[in-house]
Amino acid sequence: MRRALFTALTLLIGTTAWSAGVTLPDYERVELDNGTVLLLSEKHDVPLTGMRAVIRGGSSADPAERAGLAELLANVMQKGAGGRDAAGFAEAAASVGGSISVSANLESIAVSAEFLSRDVELMIELVADVLLRPTLDKDEFAKERDRSIAMIQAAKGSDPSGLMPAYANAFIFGAHAYGNPSGGSEATLAELAHEDIRQYYEAFFGGDRLIIAVVGDFDLQAMKAKLTSVFGGWAPATEELPVLAAPTPSPAPRVLLVDKPGVSQTYFWIGNTGVAVDYPRRAELNLANTVFGGRFTSMLMTALRVESGLTYSARSVVERFAQRGTVTVRSFTETSTTVEAIDMAIKMLDRLHIRGMNEAMIASARNYIMGQFPPTLETASSLARMLAYLEQNGLDRAYVDEYGAALAAATPVTISNTIAEVYPTPDDLVFILIGDAESIREDVAKYGPVTEMSINEPRFRP
Amino acid sequence: MSLFSELRRRNVIKVALLYAVASWLIVWLISHAVGALGLSPWVSDYMLLLLAIGFPVALIFAWVYEITPAGIKKGVDVDQTQSIVYKTGQKLNAAVAVLAVLGVAAVIGEKLLPEFVRPVPVAIEEIPLKPVFDFSAKAAVPREITSFDLPNGLKIIVWPDHDIPNVAMYYFVRAGGRNEYPGITGIAHFFEHMMFNGTKSRPQGEFDRTMEAAGGANNAGTSNDITVYMDWFPRSALETIFELEADRLMNLAIDPDVVETERGAVSSERRLRVDNDNEGRLFEQMMATAYVAHPYQNPVIGWPSDIENWTQQDLEAFFKTYYAPNNITMVFVGDVTPEEIYLLSDQYLSAIPRQHPPPEITTVEPAQQGARRIVIEAAAQSPLLHVAFHAGATGDPETLHMDLLLALLAEGDSSRLHRVLVEEEQLAISISGMQTDGFDPGLVYFYMTLPPGGDVAAAEARLLAELDRIVKDGVTTAELQKARNLRIASFWRGLQTINGKASSLGSFEVFTGDHENLFAIPEQLTAITPAELQAVAAKVFRTNNMTVGTLRSPTEGAAE
Repeated sequence: MRRALFTALTLLIGTTAWSAGVTLPDYERVELDNGTVLLLSEKHDVPLTGMRAVIRGGSSADPAERAGLAELLANVMQKGAGGRDAAGFAEAAASVGGSISVSANLESIAVSAEFLSRDVELMIELVADVLLRPTLDKDEFAKERDRSIAMIQAAKGSDPSGLMPAYANAFIFGAHAYGNPSGGSEATLAELAHEDIRQYYEAFFGGDRLIIAVVGDFDLQAMKAKLTSVFGGWAPATEELPVLAAPTPSPAPRVLLVDKPGVSQTYFWIGNTGVAVDYPRRAELNLANTVFGGRFTSMLMTALRVESGLTYSARSVVERFAQRGTVTVRSFTETSTTVEAIDMAIKMLDRLHIRGMNEAMIASARNYIMGQFPPTLETASSLARMLAYLEQNGLDRAYVDEYGAALAAATPVTISNTIAEVYPTPDDLVFILIGDAESIREDVAKYGPVTEMSINEPRFRP
Repeated sequence: MSLFSELRRRNVIKVALLYAVASWLIVWLISHAVGALGLSPWVSDYMLLLLAIGFPVALIFAWVYEITPAGIKKGVDVDQTQSIVYKTGQKLNAAVAVLAVLGVAAVIGEKLLPEFVRPVPVAIEEIPLKPVFDFSAKAAVPREITSFDLPNGLKIIVWPDHDIPNVAMYYFVRAGGRNEYPGITGIAHFFEHMMFNGTKSRPQGEFDRTMEAAGGANNAGTSNDITVYMDWFPRSALETIFELEADRLMNLAIDPDVVETERGAVSSERRLRVDNDNEGRLFEQMMATAYVAHPYQNPVIGWPSDIENWTQQDLEAFFKTYYAPNNITMVFVGDVTPEEIYLLSDQYLSAIPRQHPPPEITTVEPAQQGARRIVIEAAAQSPLLHVAFHAGATGDPETLHMDLLLALLAEGDSSRLHRVLVEEEQLAISISGMQTDGFDPGLVYFYMTLPPGGDVAAAEARLLAELDRIVKDGVTTAELQKARNLRIASFWRGLQTINGKASSLGSFEVFTGDHENLFAIPEQLTAITPAELQAVAAKVFRTNNMTVGTLRSPTEGAAE
């Protein structure tokens, strides 16, 4: 595969992208007496229905010493619920060809389900069991915890790129809750007790934090009645979610070097904190990031892959959380070309700041974003995900429907202002590297004071 | 008497002038008729040649013969006092004048009148050379799907779907690792990269810049058997896509400098996917062990020394042989009509020359005669265990049976192997199963990650015991129904998007010989019985047919 990651990236940015002419389908928003919000839309092209149930909260509510709590809870929730044990629950979904899974991120725990339309009743029953009646079995908890630890160890011994977010967030955000690894570390997972996930569930789950989006091949009125009867009586959560302060920009320059002896290439992220989900100029930001590192012909790919062959992939990613997110350049290169590749990436960042974007670049990026957007809202499940995302973040359909107009209104000046506001300058960078420390330790010291740790340490914070 | 005045007297000069004017008018008319009537362009060239040959003949005729009141006679036989060459000369002058006026009128008319445009839909339905659209007669196949072949052998399948204003285009080149041999392993995959690196008229990077500026995105992938190119784009970019694809299929530049840079990108890809990824390392060695004769033994990305060493000649020969229209199938799904796809294909793709069919791959992997085992020693806390069995090609009917077996053995948390190995006995932290797609018999493949310090022998024994249980006791009706439901649901998931439709249609066309076979799946699933599943399991899950690979740390090996 040549560039699978760019498709994934488009989807990621896609939560913030849109095109004139295609708008969200009609949907009905219903707020139940207990605060649960329903978002419903019929779609009849294939006999499938997608459902997304989101509980506000997530791993940013984890205490630092027990990081990984929310994600472990999500894993254990699907290991038995209602009257079914883990095997029976999995069998109930699979036996009709349905899928159901629970996941956690910084700001929510979400149940995603997709079933053939003939099995919609069963889908609602299973989602309700997971949310309202999870067994949270003690043995299942122990197995999931041990397996999560083993998965981290397996990644450390093999391709470590999946661990980069944990190292990067820890180094960029420091002690802030966003710096906790959402999946936990070997050290924090080992500290978790069964009681912790039970307490988290009892404190933070309730009807007032629930958003349910359902899109697909069903009758809207019947669906509304059914969901109201199933979820309308769920009591509110008993504890307030912790209020997070906005994280401060990370002190820079600094370098984290994670030593993986013998690895033949260096994996690197460079960047700093960015902006929050409610950042008003997201059209400008997405245009800038498309040109800088968001597609195949981006400045980063052209310099680091096409013209120099230093890497297979180089990109820039803007992540926006409720308070503030990150902006990072991400790539990897052979150990001996580590400095050459990083220097090149910094040069491109400098060029982005100095030159900005001209009209032709803007037109190309605008066409690209608008041309690639409709397929990201093509399926019932992707529409359900978008409706839930908008509700969770206090956004409305204008976020999608009027995005094309916002892209059209962007100018070289507004984009330059956005670049200056969001992207760190070359002297304000934090570097996170996984590589063979002995080979690169001295060379990378030129970027800033180096903090070194072994990949075998059971934590991600140095 | 001078020669010139005699030429004048005999009207030879006037005949020459008339011939020239008439010829020009004829050629002009024919060349316009070619465009309007769809005749071959060499009709006008042929006529020009005939007229050129006729020119000296006409002059000689004019010199030798004379028109008289009694008919045509040789000039020497005519009584010069009775000669009417002067009157003939006047008639010739008039004829030249008339033809010249006609010619001028035609040229002016051409400038003033609107250009003749072939009426698009009518041309498709009424001209004798119209495409033959294949419409399915089978009930389960959506009626809007059509296909046609260009004269150069390129097959094109079209599935209009107007839900979103976008199009997914896939084309499948029948070239992959299977078509390689020692020295050029990895060349099919490398070629996939080179297809994005410039044509004779477009420098490197222009293909992507043009496509992305028009709102399109692309990707490509190479397997053992095929190379697939994918474009996803808004409807408005349709003609741009045709132009770009035709350009690289016809005019690819294989620039030696670019080849060297691209070797670097491919080496980086290899380090990412194989050398620094334990799963990738073990898989590569497993294939090299399970196959001793068939080219499936070579990694698709290529052996490192081959990546460094293939030559310009290798690349050019590969392109000519495999990137021929008769070796490619193209699929369009989305906001298009079959008529416009036909017209654009005819315009942009029909000039790609057909080539001799690529050489057949005739090597048949001999039956395995006993279990094979390999070990990779690596600094990894978590051992990996891979177990593979030779099975069928994608087109074999039993492939669907094996697909159902894999669904109930290794798909999801309720599958047999996950329950036993991961949940109950915790011998592994994950297990998955798959069968490889291919023209030739592939592998059924199970791969497990064990917990740090995990017991590899125990995990292997437990896996084999579960496979043996299927062979001995078969599967229940409920399990079969579950496996069917999983496949029916994934069938519909595949048809939710234009991308999934294009991928599914093309894969079925390439690997089973007919894209309509995709729609036979639900019915085929219904017909399969538990006894058939058991028989397929017994045929495949034999220790003599097995390759086992382990990746573990060296210290663990020393302890054994």
